[in-house]
Amino acid sequence: MKKILLIFSVLSLLIFIRPALGINSNASTNNLNSSVSIEQHDEANAEDDESYVGAFEGIKQFYNYTGFANASSGNLIMILIGIIFIYLGIKFDYEPLLLIPIGAGVIIGNIPFVAGNQTGIYETGSVLNYLYFGVVKGIYPPLIFLGIGAMTDFSSLIANPKLMLLGAAAQIGVFATFLGALYLGFNLPEAGAIGIIGGADGPTAIFLSSKLANGVNILADGTTVKNLIGPIAIAAYSYMALVPVIQPPLMRLLISKEDRKIKMKPPRAVTQKEKMIFPIVALILTTFISPSALPLLGMLFFGNLLKESGRTERLADTARTKLIDIVTILLGVTVGASTQADIFITKDSMLIFGLGAISFVIATCGGLLFAKLMNLFLKGDNKINPLIGAAGVSAVPDSARVVHTEGLKSDPSNYLLMHAMAPNVSGVIGSAIAAGIILSFLG
Amino acid sequence: MIHIPLVVDQISEGYVILITGLIIVFSALLTLSLFFKYGLPLMLYVYKIITKRKDKKMSEIKVESDKNFTGEIAAAIGAAVHMYLDQQHDHESAILTIKQVKKPYSPWSSKIYGTQNRL
Repeated sequence: MKKILLIFSVLSLLIFIRPALGINSNASTNNLNSSVSIEQHDEANAEDDESYVGAFEGIKQFYNYTGFANASSGNLIMILIGIIFIYLGIKFDYEPLLLIPIGAGVIIGNIPFVAGNQTGIYETGSVLNYLYFGVVKGIYPPLIFLGIGAMTDFSSLIANPKLMLLGAAAQIGVFATFLGALYLGFNLPEAGAIGIIGGADGPTAIFLSSKLANGVNILADGTTVKNLIGPIAIAAYSYMALVPVIQPPLMRLLISKEDRKIKMKPPRAVTQKEKMIFPIVALILTTFISPSALPLLGMLFFGNLLKESGRTERLADTARTKLIDIVTILLGVTVGASTQADIFITKDSMLIFGLGAISFVIATCGGLLFAKLMNLFLKGDNKINPLIGAAGVSAVPDSARVVHTEGLKSDPSNYLLMHAMAPNVSGVIGSAIAAGIILSFLG
Repeated sequence: MIHIPLVVDQISEGYVILITGLIIVFSALLTLSLFFKYGLPLMLYVYKIITKRKDKKMSEIKVESDKNFTGEIAAAIGAAVHMYLDQQHDHESAILTIKQVKKPYSPWSSKIYGTQNRL
């Protein structure tokens, strides 16, 4: 009687374990052998000893499929980083809408698993891989730009068009980083994708890296480019979240106290007609100059037209709330999950992080110094507060907010937010144009 | 030996991209800003001239067509629309309840008016 019970329990255990083995039987020959042998045990379950062995092997097999057996130190480090991201987002409110999805994605992407089960983000056919498709093919960034366009008010830029140049000046960060990456030994397309981190624009960075450094393109000398989408996106988004930390010291360093107190005259009121004309004209002008940036700029100005036309409020509302939320969720999680340790923790990623920090510094300095330069040519009332140059890096609207608080620190009655929004939004346009140029050169 | 010129070539191309890229970005935003500084006011001015003539015609037409449309008609339409919208019962509560009505005393249930009782 005891024997029968024992056999029954072993059999039931085997039945429980078999699905785990059966599904994965084609993963490797090793698995195949063991599962076959277990089936043989199953058939020839006459003797207890063999059943014991079979059950034990099954449990071992099952253990081999768990995360505990497959965890590497890289996975654990990345999971820790994911938790830190989530912590930063919740505790310090650093761009929680980005950091929490990305942090969760980092954890999801670094759960150890056995390859071949269509689990991981880089395995074709897995669910995550399908969602990641929108990143790899650059689908999500233009949709984000649509929402940004539907959110952005360009009126301060229309009122004071000369501030557009500040947005262009900050793009020096893009090209300087590009050069730096070349000197560090990255090849041209990779360097181009890394450089765009200096544009301080997450969607643009993902768009460009998905086109240039996607691990698919083949270079002239026969080598494939590295897949740098993950590191670049993470670097861009984390430095965007760190704008309030990076920019203020540079502002204090480069701008004298008197300059920081300059009060700008309030921007003139902009008519609705001008606001409606702006997206159409800007779309045509900028995309004629840099057609490769069409997906980004086209969607940006289309979104803005939806907002300003006054007739499509429903569409604008969806674009700036539901649509951008959905895309942000998908983008954040998949970009986070793309940081799978064996692909992410490399020397290149560390270099990219270093270059990213430098690019933000250069971009901020470029904007600040160009604002000072502009002040040499402007007189009296028209002088601009050089602090707003720092808002030329596009990180909307964080850098404008940083400029505003920094201005308040030196003069509590100096409100720079509206003025800073102008270089801020032109920085978005500028970095998209820069991305288009790099793409047309290297794509 | 093949590798070194390749790297040099890359860097020189990098400088080309650096310079042309910056020039293009600047020129793009400069044209945009110049347009909004000078082009847009001109466009709006032209638009004003064009529309001013049209405006007069429009106003004349409007007065003609407005004669039959009195405030009473507007009020009637408004009332009709209001009544129509009020009659919509699209979102009725699906919960049906029978309310229990408690009436402690009613002459209909009074025992003293019963047939058996004689006052």
